[in-house]
Amino acid sequence: MKAEYINPFFKATVDVFRIMLDLEVERGKLGVAEDLAPSKDASAVIGITGDLSGSILYSFPQDMVLEMVRIMSGMSLTKMDSFVGSALGEVANIISGNAMTNLSATQYLCDIVPPQVLIGKTASLSMATEKALVLPVITSIGDFEITISLRENK
Amino acid sequence: MWKDKYRVGVELIDQQHQELFGRVSEFLRTVQSEGDWQQKLAKVKETLEFMQEYVIVHFEAEEALQRETNFPEYEEHKAAHDDLKQTVAEYTNFFETEGYVEDKVQELGAKLMTWLIMHVAVADQKIGVHLLEQEGANNEG
Repeated sequence: MKAEYINPFFKATVDVFRIMLDLEVERGKLGVAEDLAPSKDASAVIGITGDLSGSILYSFPQDMVLEMVRIMSGMSLTKMDSFVGSALGEVANIISGNAMTNLSATQYLCDIVPPQVLIGKTASLSMATEKALVLPVITSIGDFEITISLRENK
Repeated sequence: MWKDKYRVGVELIDQQHQELFGRVSEFLRTVQSEGDWQQKLAKVKETLEFMQEYVIVHFEAEEALQRETNFPEYEEHKAAHDDLKQTVAEYTNFFETEGYVEDKVQELGAKLMTWLIMHVAVADQKIGVHLLEQEGANNEG
């Protein structure tokens, strides 16, 4: 898998976090994973189809998700309910949508499949045919991971 | 929910946005409030309708302003409004036929909140920029 797929997702994350959460993000050291596995408490998976196909997994610690939803809603939330889960899915959806726009600038035309939200550290979602790249993202309210598993269809 | 950074710089729009954020926030707070779902359902429906009504009022006012001022991205912007109205209509149809299932109502709340933040913080800002440019051109002319 090409590392060049990473930048459109990182740029989209920077933009969306700034717009929706007033937070600056930094990237950590890129890693490799054998498969797509949620590493933290709450995750959203987005399917990608088109010139590239595969999945993107956004995995967050619970406290971070609750704080993100508090920043957006102005409400203090203490549990991972369906509102918090749906909001997490929407944020992942918006980041992925922006990443698709960024990818189209590099001639890859792709669509996204609506998010699936997973609560808890569940088993691997799939064995990626190729290794997945793991991008750690660092923020002042916590760190999360974006796992990118894509293959080229062109 | 409302933040000053969401201001577009057009008084009518900013005032309506604050009202809209207020109504969405009231809906979210009602859905999230402590208590039995069946008992708070009447209030959930009331705040949902109150919010929905204003979505229409606001979108119409904003689209009218865009037409009057020849906003170049009118069609695209209207399509985004139509999409949101469609989403809300699909949820309300579901609620009326299948019942006001809490998880589904929560899901709609999350969609509305994130849609509104992104739309007002990005797409609507272009209206303000357009009007400023127009004002500049008029002053030069």
